Amino acid sequence: MDKETKEVAKVENRKPVKTQFEGEKTVSGKYYIPRTDIIETGKSLIVTMDVPGVKKENVNVMLENNILEVDAKIDFSPYKSLNPVYTEYNVGHYTRKFSVSNAIDTEKIDANLADGVLTLTLPKAPEAQPRKIQIS
Amino acid sequence: MLSFRTLETLLGLQEALDLARNAGFFETSTASSGVNPPVNIFEKNGDLVLVAELPGVKKKELNIEVKENILRLSGTRTIDYGKDVSYHRIERNSSKFDRTLRLPFNIESGKVLAEYKDGLLVVSLPHAESDKPKKIAIQ
Repeated sequence: MDKETKEVAKVENRKPVKTQFEGEKTVSGKYYIPRTDIIETGKSLIVTMDVPGVKKENVNVMLENNILEVDAKIDFSPYKSLNPVYTEYNVGHYTRKFSVSNAIDTEKIDANLADGVLTLTLPKAPEAQPRKIQIS
Repeated sequence: MLSFRTLETLLGLQEALDLARNAGFFETSTASSGVNPPVNIFEKNGDLVLVAELPGVKKKELNIEVKENILRLSGTRTIDYGKDVSYHRIERNSSKFDRTLRLPFNIESGKVLAEYKDGLLVVSLPHAESDKPKKIAIQ
């Protein structure tokens, strides 16, 4: 664990508000499961995730074998010069995986990060989109 | 008859149970319990720095007030996906929050700096000069 992570985490955390990721990671530091909404519109699936403190360049979205994996890292450097006196939440990276059906047009997945909210737009493949059938 | 000691023990037990329940230890959901929004407070060169995670909150919907040693943090987080959508999973929620914190010393309210970036609110709270201990020279 990084020195910084330890410093933020060492004070008793009375009310855990984030769910820690229990799997193994190759990077040191705590990992949390970001809170996520998944909604569906006629054209696409939209995945919205809360990843406060994450910068655009530290988000990694991967799609492999129909598994969509999001890995978002936070920057611990602002905490270096700070000494925790009262803490209510822990700070860590974010990770989450979803399996995606092949009804998704994987080529056209779009990601956007604003105000600590990551939005992934997964367009449906044309054959999976709703069609209105005209009666002739 | 209950002695004062017994009552105190019972009240202590009650308090411990409440604490355990509020800690979310028995919960498996990702939903939060307890204060909203949770804050971390740090010390830096004798001043305080408050950090809160407020993803998706608009700057104009955030309100910070400081008076003497009281800090009030209020705002609204609105999540609206519009009509004609179906929901598969909802873990994030719209919320209205209003928290008041008592700090250990008075704050120089004119010098408070608040920054909101990447969903993080960082408020620097400088120790008021008038509230700092004075060194007294011995005559």
